[in-house]
Amino acid sequence: MLLVLADEHKEHLGFLNEVEVEVVKEFCRIAMEFIRSGPNPKLYQSAAQKLGVASETVQHGVEGLMFLLTESARYMISEIDFQDSIMTLGFSDDLRSVLLQLYLSNRGEIRTVLSEMSMDLPHYHNLEWRLEVTVAGRTLRHQVTPRLMMKLHTQDSGEKDVQVLQTDPVNLLHLTQVLEGALSEMKSTHCRRIVRNIK
Amino acid sequence: MRFRFCGDLDCPDWVLAEISILSKLTSVKMKLLCVQVVKDLLGQSIDYDKVHKLTADAKYEAGDVKASIAALSFILCSAAKYQVDGDSLSNELQQLGLPKEHSSSLCKTYADNLGNLQAQFMRQSLKLSQLESAEWRVDYILSSSELQDVQEPMVQLRLRVRNPDTGNVVPHSFTMTADKFRLFLSELKQAHQVMEGLAL
Repeated sequence: MLLVLADEHKEHLGFLNEVEVEVVKEFCRIAMEFIRSGPNPKLYQSAAQKLGVASETVQHGVEGLMFLLTESARYMISEIDFQDSIMTLGFSDDLRSVLLQLYLSNRGEIRTVLSEMSMDLPHYHNLEWRLEVTVAGRTLRHQVTPRLMMKLHTQDSGEKDVQVLQTDPVNLLHLTQVLEGALSEMKSTHCRRIVRNIK
Repeated sequence: MRFRFCGDLDCPDWVLAEISILSKLTSVKMKLLCVQVVKDLLGQSIDYDKVHKLTADAKYEAGDVKASIAALSFILCSAAKYQVDGDSLSNELQQLGLPKEHSSSLCKTYADNLGNLQAQFMRQSLKLSQLESAEWRVDYILSSSELQDVQEPMVQLRLRVRNPDTGNVVPHSFTMTADKFRLFLSELKQAHQVMEGLAL
C-alpha cells in the first residue's frame, strides 16, 4: 500500500531536499534518536545555527522524517511502496536511496518501540511464595494447619501492584491442575489449526 | 533426566542451549564471570564493562552476553535454593556437557559463596509487613469534658511498620486503658511462650 502524505508533511520534508546528503544522514540519525529516547531541542538549535535556517524548520524536518519512518514501519510497507510514496516529494536519487536504507535498517527496531507503546493490561511480574504451618493461635493451641502464602506482583504500564493471597494445599493442587489444563489446551487440534493459519 | 540442582526436575531447554555458549569462554574468564554474577545475586550491581571485556575474546554478541549471565544466575540460584553441594553440582554440569575445568571453576565460586547466597535468599524470602520499632508512653488522665474526675492511667503505643515492597515505614499509634493493656500483654506473653517452645 502507498503512504499518502499530508501537504503540511510534504512541506516539512521539502526542507530536506534543499540541503546536502550528508546533512540528511545526520538528520536521519537525529530522527532515530528521537524515536528511541524523545526529542532533544538543543540539537535543533545547534543544527539550525550551522545551516543558517530557523530552528523550527530543522525541528519540522526531523519530526517529518520521524513520522514518515513510524508510519512506514507501522504498515510494514515494502521497499517498492516506500519508494513510490516518497517519489511525490521530488527528492534526488541519492536522497531516496538514503531514506530507503534508513527505513530498511531500522524497521525492526521501530516496530519494537511501537509495540511497547500499545495498550497494556495488568500482567504478571513476579510471584513469591512461602509454605508455613500455623501451630497455635489466640483461640486454639496445638494445631497443625499448613498454608501457602503468595505475593503476586503485577505491572500495568509501569505501575506495580501487589496482591497477598493465601491457599491451603488442596486448593493449590486444584489451581495447578486448572492452569496445566489451560496450557495443554494449546496442544489441542483446534488451537493447532488456528496457530498454523496465523503463521 | 532429573537433576538435583533443578530440584529433581528436568533442566530447562534454554539452559542446555547456553551450556555450549558458555563452553566457548576459557575457564579463567568463566570464573571471573561467575564472580560478577554472584555479586549481582548478592544485590550489588554488576560491572557490565568488565563482563564485556571478558566476553569480547569469545566474540559474544549482545544476546549471547545476556543469555550467559541469565544461565549462570539460574544455575547458581537454583543450586543454592536446593542446597546442592559443590561436587554434585560439578558432576551434574559435566553431565550436561560443560567441560571439566569450567564446571570445577564454577563450583569453586559456588562453594565459596554458598553461605552468602543462602543468607541473601533468606532475607529476600516472602515477608509481609515487618515491625521496625515500638515506642510507648504512659499518661495519667485527670479530667475530661464528660467527667470531671477521671484519674485513669493510659498507655499510648506507636508501632512503626515497614512495608517490604515499597520500603516505607508507616507509624500506627493507639491508646489502651490499664485493663486492656494487661490483657494485651498476657496474650503476647503466651504467644512468646509458644515461640520459645518451637525455637531450636
